[in-house]
Amino acid sequence: MDQAFWAKMHGAAVHFPIALTLCSGALDASGCFWPDAATRRGLHAAGYWTMLIGAAGTVPAVVSGLFMTKGVMLGHDALRLHHLFAWPAFALILGIAAWRVLAKDFATRRAALGYLGAVGLAAILVMAAGYWGGEMLLAR
Amino acid sequence: MDTLPPAQPVRGKAAWAVLAAVLALSSAYGLSLSLRHAAARTSRQQPTPEAWFEVSTVASPALVTQGRALFLSSCAHCHGADATGDEGPDLHGLEVSDRYISNTITHGIKGEMPSFRKKLGGGDIVSLVAYLHSL
Repeated sequence: MDQAFWAKMHGAAVHFPIALTLCSGALDASGCFWPDAATRRGLHAAGYWTMLIGAAGTVPAVVSGLFMTKGVMLGHDALRLHHLFAWPAFALILGIAAWRVLAKDFATRRAALGYLGAVGLAAILVMAAGYWGGEMLLAR
Repeated sequence: MDTLPPAQPVRGKAAWAVLAAVLALSSAYGLSLSLRHAAARTSRQQPTPEAWFEVSTVASPALVTQGRALFLSSCAHCHGADATGDEGPDLHGLEVSDRYISNTITHGIKGEMPSFRKKLGGGDIVSLVAYLHSL
């Protein structure tokens, strides 16, 4: 399969983890402060599943990206900047998802705030990676 | 926020989370190495080493002029004086990185282009790359 195929696959795969990670952070953040207990539980449950599906979605995104670039992990110029944000985001999202699977729920307020901080950082990294990904396509 | 008693070991879970992140990156690195070697086998080129920190080339007009002079003395007999190709290919509109071009000049392409490792120094190659990107 040629690079054009993998470029299309990468484009098809990357948007799910970006959207789901951002949604998960927003859902969990809302769940921390929502006044109604039943709604709080629902928001956390939605945050849990969107994070898990988003984290699972990072794998095809990364694999298709590696096939597209023939295994380049850093590269040059915009691709390099894309990777410098994408790799930490990938590791952080999978780490966050693993923690969430093990923890299931937030045992303490500190754990919840730490988790939301990590998700916020992942969201910033993902957005920066997405920005430089867009620059590669649109800035020529 | 629902606050449960802090009975669950948070640090143990964090360690597993770090392990998952490290495993994910290691797997990506392994796949990357495998793909790079496969690409090198099919393209007959050596995989280019990558560095975390890299200074990007600033192509000044003086550098381009210097590169043009070097191109005429070292490359024009194969690629043509205007770099539109002769025995070697047309070099206009190259969509490859600086590192890729400098790697090709330094190591050559087996059976197609000689290595210029002994003839050209690092500064010469930088100016040649600047010239080629100006085309």
